[in-house]
Amino acid sequence: MSIKQKNLYGILAEFNNPKELINISKEVVKLGYDKFDTYSPFPIHGIDKAMKLKKSKLGWIVFGHGILGFSGALAMMYFMSVIDYPLNIGGKPFFNVPAWVPVTFELTILLSAFGAVFGMFFLNGLPRFNHPLFNIERFKNSTDDKFFICIEASDSKFHTDIVTDLFKNAGASYIEEVYE
Amino acid sequence: MSHQPTITDNLQFSADSKLPQILFGVGGAGLLVSAYGYFTNADQFFFSYLVSFTFFTGIALASVFMVMFHHITKSKWGVVIRRIPETFGATLWIWALFAIPVLLGIHNLYHWSHEDAVAADKILKGKSAYLNTPFFIIRQIIYFVIWGYVGHKLYKASIDMDKTGDWGITSFMRKVSAPAIPLFGLSVAFASFDWLMSLDPHWFSTMFGVYFFAISFQSFWAVMILMVFFLQRNGYLNNTIGQAHIYDMGAWLFAFTVFYAYIAFAQFLLIYYANLPEETLWFYHRLEGSWKFIAYGLLLLRFALPFLVLLNREQKHRRNILAYVSVLVVIMHFLEIYWIAMPTLSAHGIHFSWIDLSTFLGLGGIFFGLFFRQFKQNSMIPEKDPKLGACLEKSYHQ
Repeated sequence: MSIKQKNLYGILAEFNNPKELINISKEVVKLGYDKFDTYSPFPIHGIDKAMKLKKSKLGWIVFGHGILGFSGALAMMYFMSVIDYPLNIGGKPFFNVPAWVPVTFELTILLSAFGAVFGMFFLNGLPRFNHPLFNIERFKNSTDDKFFICIEASDSKFHTDIVTDLFKNAGASYIEEVYE
Repeated sequence: MSHQPTITDNLQFSADSKLPQILFGVGGAGLLVSAYGYFTNADQFFFSYLVSFTFFTGIALASVFMVMFHHITKSKWGVVIRRIPETFGATLWIWALFAIPVLLGIHNLYHWSHEDAVAADKILKGKSAYLNTPFFIIRQIIYFVIWGYVGHKLYKASIDMDKTGDWGITSFMRKVSAPAIPLFGLSVAFASFDWLMSLDPHWFSTMFGVYFFAISFQSFWAVMILMVFFLQRNGYLNNTIGQAHIYDMGAWLFAFTVFYAYIAFAQFLLIYYANLPEETLWFYHRLEGSWKFIAYGLLLLRFALPFLVLLNREQKHRRNILAYVSVLVVIMHFLEIYWIAMPTLSAHGIHFSWIDLSTFLGLGGIFFGLFFRQFKQNSMIPEKDPKLGACLEKSYHQ
């Protein structure tokens, strides 16, 4: 192998059905690994509990953006219609909150939506050009009929032999080391 | 899919429960005391009566809406709670009797019912083809025929399914619901014009029907949540109505909190911005004097607080939070109808009267007495519904 120094990304194991994937996830969690992920062609009911996934922080990101949009809109209109360029419109006050509500509402929604979409990208580590798992030919089956789990090398408990044995004993149909 | 879903709960509300009698007792006493109020202050009596009457009728109407939406969308999520709104709808034809005092008080309530006033007023003369006493009475009859018929029919069909187990009734209920939804939409809108909007006959808002629907539907979900908690606290349906169903009702309450605010504010904003004298006067009376406290109270306690509290997913799971918010929404719903109707009687400011309380207790006792009288006669859930199994299996994601 005339290859340059390659970094181990993790160890990938293939399973044949969702039940096995749930079982191995539970086992992996029990053994104390926390840097691992599972891949399946469809959402599996209960996998989030088996993996002990924490609740997504996305809601808080959206809320923060919503607050920003709300206060930003009010501040903008206050500056424009009270400080910078007050206009008398039908004798209504310059500080005219009811008339500002539609813009405030829209900007709150707009920034919340931005927060939701871009926050989702951020939490998923997107955008990125490639992922080490794409080096594995069989991983393509994760969009078809196979179920994968990968424990990453950056996990503090990670040890190549132990993880390989773990997957072997759990009945993985295929195991491969993944390099970056 | 399981054909015979396993239910571990007792589905029969205790047949020897004295609850309906107690409620009828409270209701009868309340109405008797209110009748004394009629002789001391007839105007006050009829206005108080109208506020309570629209309060409870709105909740019953929203119930029938919910049942119809449920049928027409072939929903599964709410099968276990469907019997409660069905029962509210089933009592609507008896409830029609309690519209009679509104008709008797027509001269106390509605300025347009005085022929000399109409003759002297150009605007009212223009509206007299619609706003006149005979047509008003005819419309009330039409409304209650539609509501009573549809409410009873949907309830009856659901009970029939309990007894026969015939799943074909599902499509019958859909066939009733589909044409009844537009009929309901129109009749509820016109009823709100008649009862509340025409108190100030010069004023008009094309949005008023939607507004009445929105306030009623929001408080309907609050009443539903409280009703389910009441049943569960008394040991009913604890294993049938699960956390997932409670969460769904919380989500509905949240959704209609937003919808209510949107509609109520849209109505206000258009009138405020256009600034036409004949439209703004209505809001002028309601944003001046002590009435403005209710107006801002609605903004804060009926929209902002429930919105912020229920925004987080966790909060919609927590029963005590849901119960507090529901109580708040019900109180604010009463105050909102009060705020819509009462400034016609006392333009200078809030003037609470003991008759407000006695008519509310009176009609409330009768309303819930009728409900429980009906509710204890049959199973508390549609036990043979084809979608019951799917509803019970509805899992709970945290």
